[in-house]
Amino acid sequence: MTAIAQELVEFPTALVKAREGDHDAFAEIVEQHEAMVYSLAWNFFRDRSRAEEIAQDVFLQLFRNLASIESPSHLVFWLRQVTTRRCIDVSRRGRLRPVSLEEAGEIPARERNRDPLLDQTLQRLIGELPELQRVVLTLRYQEDLDPSEICRIVEVPVNTVKSHLHRALRSLRKRLESSR
Amino acid sequence: MHRVILTAILMLAIAFPAAAQRLNLDFPGLADRADEVVDVTLDAAMLKLAAKFLSGKDSDERAVRDMVNGLQGIYVRSYEFAKDGQYDRSLVDRLRSQLGSTWQPLVTVRSKKKESVNIFADMRGEMITGLVIIAAEPRSFTVVNIVGPIDIDRLAGLEGQFGIPRISEKNRD
Amino acid sequence: MNLDNELRNTLRRKSPAPGFAGRVLARIEEDDARSSFVSKATDHGRRWRAVAASVTLAAVLAGYASHHIAEQRRIEGEFARDQVLLAMRIAGAKVRYAQQEVRAIGTDRTEEQSSIGEVDN
Repeated sequence: MTAIAQELVEFPTALVKAREGDHDAFAEIVEQHEAMVYSLAWNFFRDRSRAEEIAQDVFLQLFRNLASIESPSHLVFWLRQVTTRRCIDVSRRGRLRPVSLEEAGEIPARERNRDPLLDQTLQRLIGELPELQRVVLTLRYQEDLDPSEICRIVEVPVNTVKSHLHRALRSLRKRLESSR
Repeated sequence: MHRVILTAILMLAIAFPAAAQRLNLDFPGLADRADEVVDVTLDAAMLKLAAKFLSGKDSDERAVRDMVNGLQGIYVRSYEFAKDGQYDRSLVDRLRSQLGSTWQPLVTVRSKKKESVNIFADMRGEMITGLVIIAAEPRSFTVVNIVGPIDIDRLAGLEGQFGIPRISEKNRD
Repeated sequence: MNLDNELRNTLRRKSPAPGFAGRVLARIEEDDARSSFVSKATDHGRRWRAVAASVTLAAVLAGYASHHIAEQRRIEGEFARDQVLLAMRIAGAKVRYAQQEVRAIGTDRTEEQSSIGEVDN
């Protein structure tokens, strides 16, 4: 059996067991998707403690809603949707539970041969984008989703997604050029 | 002999009154669509704990403390949405279908534009041993399930205290 | 500069701090039990349980256990109190609204109809 097929066979078992209250199985699901969820929040806020807090909240919510998850692909969709909604919600309301920095994780080491200043500048500029543009950009470049997939997650028409993406890229290009 | 059995049955009934009903308040996906969510789940143990922290000196908290005494649970799910049509109005019927034969409707207020409220009581003889309140507006949906003996009039008298503005003000014309 | 590539790099996935799954489960258990942090060690020796067990052990060895438990109890009790007050406020508001609506129409109806009956707006 190929690795992918094996994963497809194994994962539903974890989902079934987690629904029955098996914490080990739920931990497997968390470990499988924590990077995606954490990164969506981190790339939105550029803040380790916020990302940690939101990621924990999302998985807590998942645990409470396991019965509504129909399949592994639905789970991924659900996690992306709930995480992005939560980021926007928190951003608008400023609600946070304090999380210790020890829990909050390390910023990954920058890749070699990358301009660290460019990376930093891009991070800052992305953080200054309007919320929906930021979300659409993150789903596009972190998760490699196309606009038709993004529009299902954020529940806006596909042309709106394309428009947000276009405006975000245009804004970033313009501001990058003016910062040089 | 029959008298002994009957007495035993009656004693058991007093010692173990028919359990009041707790509803299934699981609404998959509703919280995700809501802007604001209130989720309260308090079983008997938590209510006992809460009672210890309700002030005996404050008359309002004392009233609440008296009311929760004897309750087996309080469960609230309340959702507020940014726009109309974010939840299925048939949720009301689904909740009603959970109510057993001892439940009776106390009040039904129907409104398309304002709030619709259904209040049901679990009646054991003259006593209310449980309460379900279902409130639906175009952009909000609330269910309250109180398990245990409750005084409705006293409950209505609580709202507007604790320094919190009366919620029902917004429903007045 | 290829902006697409730069964005892919800048927005690449990052992992949370080690033990994230353990922290999530800890919150679930805290949420469920409304009690102090519980470690569920078993014979399986999973990574996240090892992290949880070592944190608990450290707290006990440091002598903060009893203080933590009392503090946790106070936090839980105040949380429960706030939840009860919130629940009662919501319930009371809805009952009061229903009563007001019934009374508003009540002048045209019999007392029996208005208290156990239907009001249409």
